[in-house]
Amino acid sequence: MANPNKIKNGFTFKLFKGIQSDNLNYIYRGVFTQSITDNILNLTEINLDKAGENAKIKKRVFTIMVEGLQNITRHQEVEESKEKVESGVFMLQDFEGKYFITTGNPIYNANIEKLTGQIEKINNLDSEELKQYYKSVLNDNIISAKGGAGLGLIEMARKSGKKLVYDFVKKNDDISYFYLNTEISHENEEQSLKKRNLSLDHIKDIHQMLNTENIVLIFSGIFNQESLLSILSIMENQMMEHTLNLKKKVFNIMVEMLQNIVKHGVNGKEPNQNPGIFYISQVGETYMLNAGNYVNKSEEKSLCEKIDYVNALSQDELNDFYEESLFNFKIDNSKESGLGLIELRLKTKKKINYEITPYNDNFCFFVVQTQVE
Amino acid sequence: MNKFYCDYTEDTPEVVLDSENGIYTIKGRSLPENAVGFYEPIFEWFSNLKNANDVDNIVLDIKLDYFNTSSAKQITKLLLIVQKVSESKNILVNWHYFKDDTDIKMSGERFARLIDVKINILPYND
Repeated sequence: MANPNKIKNGFTFKLFKGIQSDNLNYIYRGVFTQSITDNILNLTEINLDKAGENAKIKKRVFTIMVEGLQNITRHQEVEESKEKVESGVFMLQDFEGKYFITTGNPIYNANIEKLTGQIEKINNLDSEELKQYYKSVLNDNIISAKGGAGLGLIEMARKSGKKLVYDFVKKNDDISYFYLNTEISHENEEQSLKKRNLSLDHIKDIHQMLNTENIVLIFSGIFNQESLLSILSIMENQMMEHTLNLKKKVFNIMVEMLQNIVKHGVNGKEPNQNPGIFYISQVGETYMLNAGNYVNKSEEKSLCEKIDYVNALSQDELNDFYEESLFNFKIDNSKESGLGLIELRLKTKKKINYEITPYNDNFCFFVVQTQVE
Repeated sequence: MNKFYCDYTEDTPEVVLDSENGIYTIKGRSLPENAVGFYEPIFEWFSNLKNANDVDNIVLDIKLDYFNTSSAKQITKLLLIVQKVSESKNILVNWHYFKDDTDIKMSGERFARLIDVKINILPYND
């Protein structure tokens, strides 16, 4: 478990690089409900629009996502009665003009055999046979208590035109993770299912990192005002049962940290690279909010000085400094109000942790971490 | 005075400035990416108020359940403009907060302390 008092050495950058190297342009781990699912779809749409994707591909991605996400939603309730099991994960990768969707969710070990049988059967059919199989399953009306019967899996295989890649990782005597990966290409779907050799090891490693740190929400993707609103809405849904004050505090701090990335995040290497990462981990009653993004080396020093300065102030001094800055209209433009860092200190009543990792001659990776209790 | 109206969105408040019917409200949440741009026309409207001969009494209702720091700065600016206008008009500001929301209450108290305009701090229940 993470130590809430110290920022973990290089963890955020390592996670960020892991996500980048796997061409993950969008990742979500957390609770999955209908309204959260809607927001995930919305976030994906923002990412697809940015890539200038055509309507046909978008529709295919969406159909497969909906099936995959519903799969997670359906199965997670099985786990809620059990001891606390890690939540599901959803990832979208964009690589060489193809999209890959991976879902991961816990399932009972007892169901592995049946599920394997279903997927293998689907993978062994050609597209015409798959169509017939879909019809017969639909007609037979063999619907399981969870509404499954593998229709979702058939639909995913049909829409993608590719074989399903899957894997299981055993967690304990009762439960395993089930990973399912679907590829969506620009090619016509009316051809026979293509074989794929793909290892899910890297994705499993990233998921393991998220689980170990108890990350309840993570986002790496396009950071703009629209995606920010979706992320906020997801967090509001996740925190439904908490007190108003805790909810508002987390909301407040998220807005400041995310808008910071939106306004100041720069791309490190290539224009299509994600500017940063945002995640929330939970240790007992404490939420830790982490934001990491590339900054220009020329800004590094002044940024550190600003944080050190507000960290050194007492609560009273912070209040005075906040009021002074509120009326300081020399810093007042669409990018900066000079209040963000003071607000983070005032609201959390904790020092702001930060960490800088050198990246290249022009940029470094800057991580800011705050705690909310 | 022309009527000013903008509907609320996910990240900006509803604003009604209607001197004909005596309604002046800012209501909702305010967390736009560019708060400066959003508040600019509202500043302009209030700045013109001192030249409006047909308006003497103004009650401005501010009922925000959330605002980000860049909006905080623009609200400060707005209240300073209101303070200026209050030299020639009767202006009262009602700062509404949800009864359990100490943050919004404290923000209102801060403005009441720092700005020379009558600001009522009023709780609401629903």
